Amino acid sequence: MANVTLSKVRKSFGAFTALEELNMEIAAGEFIALLGPSGCGKSTTLRILAGLEFPTSGEISIDDRRVNDLPPGKRDIAMVFQSYALYPHMTVAENIAYPLKKHGVKRPEREAAVRQAAELLQLEPLLDRKPKQLSGGQQQRVALGRALVRDPKVFLLDEPLSNLDAKLRSYMRAELIELHRRLGKTMVYVTHDQLEAMTMATRIAVMHGGRLQQFDTPEMVYNCPANRFVASFIGTPSMNQLEGRVEGGAFILGPDRIAIDRTMFRDDLADGPAVLGIRPEYIQIGRGPLQATVRLAENTGHETILTLELSEGSRITARVEAGSRHKVGQVLSLGLQNDAVHLFEPGENGARLNKEQTGAAVIPMRAQ
Amino acid sequence: MPRARHLILNLVTWSLVLLIAFPLFWMIITSVKPQSELFRIPPTWLPETVTFEHYWRLLSETPFLRYFRNSVVLATTTTLFVVSLGTLGAYSLVRFNYRGRETLAMLVLFTYLLPSVVLIIPLYMMMVAIGLSNTLMSLILAHTTFALPYALWLLRSFMEGVPKDLESAALVDGATRMGAFRDVILPQLLPGIISTALFTFILSWNEYLYALVLVNSDAVAPLTTGVMSMLISAFNIEWSLLMAASVMMSLPLIVVFAFLQSYLTSGFGAGGVKG
Repeated sequence: MANVTLSKVRKSFGAFTALEELNMEIAAGEFIALLGPSGCGKSTTLRILAGLEFPTSGEISIDDRRVNDLPPGKRDIAMVFQSYALYPHMTVAENIAYPLKKHGVKRPEREAAVRQAAELLQLEPLLDRKPKQLSGGQQQRVALGRALVRDPKVFLLDEPLSNLDAKLRSYMRAELIELHRRLGKTMVYVTHDQLEAMTMATRIAVMHGGRLQQFDTPEMVYNCPANRFVASFIGTPSMNQLEGRVEGGAFILGPDRIAIDRTMFRDDLADGPAVLGIRPEYIQIGRGPLQATVRLAENTGHETILTLELSEGSRITARVEAGSRHKVGQVLSLGLQNDAVHLFEPGENGARLNKEQTGAAVIPMRAQ
Repeated sequence: MPRARHLILNLVTWSLVLLIAFPLFWMIITSVKPQSELFRIPPTWLPETVTFEHYWRLLSETPFLRYFRNSVVLATTTTLFVVSLGTLGAYSLVRFNYRGRETLAMLVLFTYLLPSVVLIIPLYMMMVAIGLSNTLMSLILAHTTFALPYALWLLRSFMEGVPKDLESAALVDGATRMGAFRDVILPQLLPGIISTALFTFILSWNEYLYALVLVNSDAVAPLTTGVMSMLISAFNIEWSLLMAASVMMSLPLIVVFAFLQSYLTSGFGAGGVKG
């Protein structure tokens, strides 16, 4: 078990800054997801941790030891690549044994360790095959086997499930959670899939444009997003964000006034332009001050997602029960659940204006 | 009529094949004809008596074996030079980022813009200056200079096909950079290395002009110039010996070609197809 610390890590490629002053403290045994859209710096962060890239400045330590100057092989880490990166000319057994061989482990011990890893991942019948003869899921398991055979301090996983089909992905998700529980190792997991991050991680680091946006538990990231980016990135469909003004105890949206509870928000909340955020599940259909026209009704089987057009023209999505029969063109009245309202500063990535724990979930996150 | 077209196509193709194959056929036939049959008119298509006396004379009475050994040393060493330099060079061109990388790669091809005749005189002067004139080494270096650029480009396209993640994985697994190169990259590059080696070997084995100019001592002459000067004089051409020598010169290439043909054709395609 080892903790991982990144302090003031910067990385630039020529004029392009990939990471801007990243600070992150990962406790021993945590399962951290680095989440963000492509190009946000999450893979760069992982490669810097692995020693495959060098930070322009800043310090990295693993298990309280500075590792900046250590090559990847000396950092006591293991990594699973998105492409699996299995050595094509070696058999499964040779692939799994390779890190042990490179660390000078003797043949009998190597064979025992390979057998053990193969047993854990149900790879025993495949040990003599070449990677090309395996399915995607099997290759994935070999890559995991190669990572865990050496019993490293930290596991780094770079989008390991993104090449699998949906069914296998959800199976491997459960396997990885189980594996983490069993091994108790520190894991850092890069993904652009919020579902993976939400379901697997103990904490999520949401990244955007080379900056860490929020680093917190899945519940907090979902319920108390630090800013507009996190609010829109986490959750499907994403949080509705309506641009308007705060005036006294109300949020003014075009011709409509939405009453807000000012005690929920920071004391320095001033009247003026702001963005109101509300998740689709907290929109109450049938009663409330707002009028909206149904533009689209998508039935997913267990729920229906409505796309509604408000009278002032902006569109919002609402999550309703699957049985509800709303027709396109129908005009509904709707309200917002008062304790689930967030306010953000205006601007592209405005910060949240709520007091710490307000706007939090009343309903836990639904499974998809 | 598709049938007629088919027929014409076949006819054209086969006459081309015959055109190319006939000299080879005639070379083999002539090499086993007895002296008396050589210039008979009309010529005999198949020898009435088959004899290997020319081969025997060549091996026992002429320095053919010495030329052969020189050629083997020359082509093998050149191939070793070119493949090892080319592999490391291609690795650098593909994996490392530095200023002028692309320019460097283009510049390497620049030697092909000049006819080899233009390069021979400066090369000869250089060899004399560094005391290598009239040695096999001078030929090895000369052959390396014209085989390396092509090898570099060929190996570069093969190297680009090796995923970077493989090397990263080996580094994380505890290999050094050279270790990762040896354990993971080289095995992936093997088809490329084999076809590059074949190209280079053939090029060096068949090369005539540089050998003619840079080496004039009989002791270090390779097959191409050695056999020519031995059997062809202003007054007489020893046809039967020449043909026997030609057969034996071609043999190594044909054998190697037959075994490694699939690698060679993959080398031809490597420049065009990228994964």
